[in-house]
Amino acid sequence: MTRKDLLDIESLRREEIEHLLDQAAPFKELFTRSVKKVPALKGKSVLTLFYEPSTRTLSSFEVAAKRLSADVTTFDVPQSSVVKGESVRDTIATLQAMRTDYIIVRNQMAGIPLAIARATKASVINAGDGAHAHPTQALLDGFTFKEVFPEPAGKKLLLVGDILHSRVARSTSTLMRKLGVEVAWLGPGSLVPKHGPSEIRKFTDYDEAMKWSPDAIYLLRIQMERQSAPFFPSLREYTKLYGVTQERFKRIADQGTYIMHPGPVNRGVELCDDVMDYQRCLIDQQVENGIAARMAVLYWLKPNTGQNELPAEQ
Amino acid sequence: MASLLIKNARIASEDNDDLLQADVLVEKGVITSIEKDIDAKAGIHVIDGSGKILSPAMFDTHIHMREPGQEAKETIKTGTEAAINGGVTGVVLMPNTSPAIDSAAMVRTIYEIAQRDSRIPVYTSGCITKGREGKELAGIDGMLQLGVKMLTDDGDAVPDMMLLKRAMEYAGEFDCFFASHCEVLELSGPRALNEGKVSYKLGIQGTPACSEEICMDRDIRLAHATGARLHIQHVSSKIGMETIRWWKQMGAKVTAEVSPHHLLFNEEDIGNYDTHYKMNPPLRTAEDNAALLEGLKDGVFDIIATDHAPHTPFEKQQDFINAPNGITGLETAVVSLFHHYINKGEFGWSLLVNRYSAQPRRMMGLETVAIVEGGRADFILFDPEGKTTFSSDFMRSKSENTPFLDKTLDGSIDLVVVGNDILLQR
Amino acid sequence: MPTNLTAADISKGVEVIAEQIVRCNSDGGFVLVGVRSRGDEVASRILEQLSALGLQVPMGILDISLYRDDLAHLNSNPKLQGSDLPFAVDKAKIILVDDVLFTGRTVRAAIDAIMDYGRPSQIELAVLIDRGHRELPFAPNYVGIQLETQRLDYVDVKLENTDGIDFVEITKNKNV
Repeated sequence: MTRKDLLDIESLRREEIEHLLDQAAPFKELFTRSVKKVPALKGKSVLTLFYEPSTRTLSSFEVAAKRLSADVTTFDVPQSSVVKGESVRDTIATLQAMRTDYIIVRNQMAGIPLAIARATKASVINAGDGAHAHPTQALLDGFTFKEVFPEPAGKKLLLVGDILHSRVARSTSTLMRKLGVEVAWLGPGSLVPKHGPSEIRKFTDYDEAMKWSPDAIYLLRIQMERQSAPFFPSLREYTKLYGVTQERFKRIADQGTYIMHPGPVNRGVELCDDVMDYQRCLIDQQVENGIAARMAVLYWLKPNTGQNELPAEQ
Repeated sequence: MASLLIKNARIASEDNDDLLQADVLVEKGVITSIEKDIDAKAGIHVIDGSGKILSPAMFDTHIHMREPGQEAKETIKTGTEAAINGGVTGVVLMPNTSPAIDSAAMVRTIYEIAQRDSRIPVYTSGCITKGREGKELAGIDGMLQLGVKMLTDDGDAVPDMMLLKRAMEYAGEFDCFFASHCEVLELSGPRALNEGKVSYKLGIQGTPACSEEICMDRDIRLAHATGARLHIQHVSSKIGMETIRWWKQMGAKVTAEVSPHHLLFNEEDIGNYDTHYKMNPPLRTAEDNAALLEGLKDGVFDIIATDHAPHTPFEKQQDFINAPNGITGLETAVVSLFHHYINKGEFGWSLLVNRYSAQPRRMMGLETVAIVEGGRADFILFDPEGKTTFSSDFMRSKSENTPFLDKTLDGSIDLVVVGNDILLQR
Repeated sequence: MPTNLTAADISKGVEVIAEQIVRCNSDGGFVLVGVRSRGDEVASRILEQLSALGLQVPMGILDISLYRDDLAHLNSNPKLQGSDLPFAVDKAKIILVDDVLFTGRTVRAAIDAIMDYGRPSQIELAVLIDRGHRELPFAPNYVGIQLETQRLDYVDVKLENTDGIDFVEITKNKNV
């Protein structure tokens, strides 16, 4: 059971997801050792290709790859707002010539990682493409959720905020539903897609959503800068309607609801400062688990850059 | 060519679905006799049409041949050969070439190339605005003097309503009509696919059907107000179809076309970013497919047109957002419509002949090419028992960006005759 | 051609190892580390024997999948089950336990893995079966059963807790 590429969650079977989540745990165990590195990918080359700036995800992948002893190179690409497909194709030709084994790609346009994956023998990992998918984020979210709820089926997860532009919301919702978790979305009508899966409940009212009594709340990052035609009048109004304010946080803490966030957090917008010290705030755990989940992915994928088969050994 | 005798074919017409079996004699490019058992005199070229259908040849009013400017995709030479390969013996070109066809000089250039390279008549539309930029009116009179009948900025709508209104007022009384690609750009996003389940899944901002419907309504209102004739191109949605139906009932001078791909495919076919299903207007839903078919049968759609839009494999192999919109259609239209509709009893040959041969010619002010005694020979012989595989070898177009690539469908065009010439014989 | 081994042969082998270990380490002061999979089961059986002989020592389990030298050649990587070393590796005397000693590549991987947990004072090797044909320079300290085999013979070890039965099947390579 293996694949060349990890491009989305949609195409993964439930067993594959569960396998990856199970495998993240032994990788996380390694972090307690004095030597955190293992030689599994010794001699393999990993190339990161980030067309969109992201310190966190990039570092997480780098740490994961280095802990597996792979050689990591950051390929400098223009992080401009528009990348033409032709220039991506030229870049791929260059990468192919470099005989890299794994390519980790982030792009602001949906479908670019797939186009790359089709054109190369290397394993391609989608580190986020447009509003399409962010599969490793979904895996680390699933891993974190399972650490808290070892039997996730039937638990309830509420995602809050900009669902429309969020690849995290798409991939994490898909993964959670494959694990049997009930998923709901909360946000203004302009940020909650009408055409999402009908099994996902859609709320526009905060109190209504809380009456649904979610086991965990997943706050998405609000990005004002993305809005050419505004999706809501002001951050202040957004926070008033959907932010976890101090008053709302008290009720959340009373109910013992867990809080997740993909980072980076906009303090005072999606959540108030107090949340960060909350015992059931999983945000730091998500970051640590991100490395383990990404190691599990790198260890699982098999590039076609291969070597000859050895005879069967005992 | 000497005289041609086609024996025992069943003859299709736009008037009824009862196919008349008879022999057809063609002399000097004219159909001189349609009778049972015409004797094959010596020297006559005889073709056995048993079991086959003799139909008037098709005419396509919505073609991109890319010449001049993008000859890597298609040329007038390859495009017209593709047309013949698909049973189409007359085409109207869209003006979004580079430079755009927006002046008498450009029209003359097109006709010169066609004269040199094409075995079938080539007509061209002309731009409404210079360079299709939506800012100034194109050289309309000069183009009309050279026989241009259709004015369109196809590929885009004219965004400025005042400019469009002026154009309609200016040219509305001339011997021409306007054709509209309907789209409100502000609502369209990256113009990649329909807003719906699939755009959600693929994470690309979709173009809602209302982007097309609003513009369609806008343009018909302007035409209605100014008295201009208007043709609506490639309608893709149910409400778009109903909008036209309503305006026709209101007495508006509006005609409309539907493309085979909007009838046959919908957004679900895009699957995992398959760019062979990317076009503008985008494929919509199964419900829209059904409504468009109903509109075709009811006559809301006067004509079928393919919007033949060739692109190179490299361009289509890009990611979904960067890959250009459009698929080829000239070579696949007749066979795919036969396979999916005529062969399944959805509609008969009369509808195909009417919507894809007779009506398009009438819209362009041309004579129809019915198979009647005294008529000019301009027909195809179609084998309903045959098969067509749309392989690279089969296709004459420079491009092969079609979802039918390497698929095999029922039916085969075995013969194309125009006047004195056999243009194709399989 | 050696014959297959029965449950009795296996438990005799375990006893032999336990006796050897006690003889050389009468006052304890070591830990057992079983290599997944089946090395861990052999180790717990040795542990039982030791305990019957009055010696209580800690035991750990080592997953060496990430240290294998053939990962690049596998169609899919082995599933990780994780390691569990519930003692300080620094300065410990470790007796590594595996079911079969063959090329020595597993031992190499296991030693590398242990070293990443700390710096043991000494590592010894105990194996249930030594079938020969080493490709790396390792010699076991404690051996339960010596088997004469051909290089391409297949030695299939089944143990009660892992496979439901104690049995060792030796298959001649059919291609030879």
